Amino acid sequence: MPPDVFGRTILAAGTTIDALGQFELHPVLGELGATLRFSQSPALMIVAVVLVLAFLYIGMRPRAVVPGRLQAAAEICHDFIHNMAVDTIGPEGRAFFPFVFTLFFFILAGNYIGLIPFSFAFTSHIAVTLGLAILVFVLAVLVSLKSQGLKFFAHFMPDGAPMALAPLLIPIEILSFLSRPVSLSIRLFANMVAGHVMLEMFAAFTIMLAGLGIAGDVLAVGPVVINIALMALELLVGALQAYVFAILTCIYLREAVAH
Amino acid sequence: MQRAILTLRPVARIATSALPLATGLLVAGAPGAYAAGMPQLDFGNPLVIGQVIWGAAIFLVFYLIVSRSALPRVSTVIANRDTQIANDLDIARDAKAAADQAVEELRRARHDAAREAQDNIERVINEARSAAAQQTAAMNARLAREIHEAEARLSEARTKAMGSLRDIAQDAASTMVRQLTGIDADAARLRTHVDAAAGARGH
Amino acid sequence: MNRNDSRPEPPETPSSFDDRLKGARERQGLQSARDTASADPLDRAGWGMMLRAGTEMIGGLAVGVAIGLGLDHWLGTRPLFLIVFAFLGGAAGILNVWRLVKP
Repeated sequence: MPPDVFGRTILAAGTTIDALGQFELHPVLGELGATLRFSQSPALMIVAVVLVLAFLYIGMRPRAVVPGRLQAAAEICHDFIHNMAVDTIGPEGRAFFPFVFTLFFFILAGNYIGLIPFSFAFTSHIAVTLGLAILVFVLAVLVSLKSQGLKFFAHFMPDGAPMALAPLLIPIEILSFLSRPVSLSIRLFANMVAGHVMLEMFAAFTIMLAGLGIAGDVLAVGPVVINIALMALELLVGALQAYVFAILTCIYLREAVAH
Repeated sequence: MQRAILTLRPVARIATSALPLATGLLVAGAPGAYAAGMPQLDFGNPLVIGQVIWGAAIFLVFYLIVSRSALPRVSTVIANRDTQIANDLDIARDAKAAADQAVEELRRARHDAAREAQDNIERVINEARSAAAQQTAAMNARLAREIHEAEARLSEARTKAMGSLRDIAQDAASTMVRQLTGIDADAARLRTHVDAAAGARGH
Repeated sequence: MNRNDSRPEPPETPSSFDDRLKGARERQGLQSARDTASADPLDRAGWGMMLRAGTEMIGGLAVGVAIGLGLDHWLGTRPLFLIVFAFLGGAAGILNVWRLVKP
């Protein structure tokens, strides 16, 4: 079945459910997009960035001492991430606050844009989430090396462990350390994929039931109700996963700046 | 009803957590086998890696704008507000302290004024009282003197009267003696008798 | 006669303004004196915990398998390093889960 105008494959008529087709990437802007490898994913990244920046700039335009609604919202976002960074990382957190802010709102906007029907969540791509997680990981390692020097590598040998076990323990510790970006990215990726797969499946149930006649029409209400509930759940999960990503980034950075 | 919700909740929890887990297992456990099914793992598609490159660029631009321009804007407004509120609170505290001091001064001034007024009243009253006492004393002294003088005049008049009484008695005695006896009585002897009689009566 | 007694204070309820002022000042100053936030509120929630444990486990295993595959590909020793690193990765995953539930 060819992709429709929105660049996705509508599930084939019949009993199969193409729950994963929604994650396919399609070039936008025609030939140019194909040449530049510009799919709907970076396009929506740009939309997300523009939305967040518009929110901040329009919200802060009055620069009022007594803020209006939008300004208060922008300030709450600022304070929320600022407190998270400073409370978790410590006084050094001030330097990382813009990074955590960028990360949180990039992911949050991506998650929420993905919930718009016919849209796409770029956070449901492991390549994107792994890229973000590796960015965090590399930053944490660089900060560790800067603040702790070569003592950083001493952390791979647990305190008080017998020397004989070192050949076993050190690789395990290194693997454990390296697994951080992987689990960080898989958590976000798996949550987003699961949510979208469930939404797609229940939507498909509705269509399938609707094809069964009058009884089906009645029964088809069920999956719609479930999807409404799922949408609420996904709104929660989208915010929660952005928060978890940000707070884990803060925790890794706290370990990095500690000596 | 409550019970049903309570029993349903763990089920919902497991359902919501099992699905991502399962998906994650699929991805991590057997990447090759599901690459065909999951577009995310189709790394042969240039768009999959392309979005990472684009994403890096977009994220970098986003970070630069946020850290250089957007967040400082918010921070400035919040910092301004904080200093303004702090200033206002300082002003309020100072004003409150000044007001308290003014109230205290007013109270003290009123207290002092009341005491001064009281003193004045007492002084005036004392003065009036002593003036009155003085006046009374002067009046008393004058009255006493006048009484004394009156008494003196009285006794003088009496003595004078008493003195003239002897003369009258002597005259009367000599007259009575002459008319009774026809002879003039000896004046000196008569005087002695009159005096003796007067003395006996206490005059 | 005795007018010395001071009149009663105006009914300002003397402490209320002070209290409010003090409260406002503290609120302003206490803004940053908040305790450090708990590391991850999700740890307390059951399903979040389960999810984290699962991803930590999988993360360790995935890194081990990936490194093993990479070494095998490079050295041509398949499946020696794959097996070794799969076990090490599994151990790392268990270590991750242990760290998660330990405190």
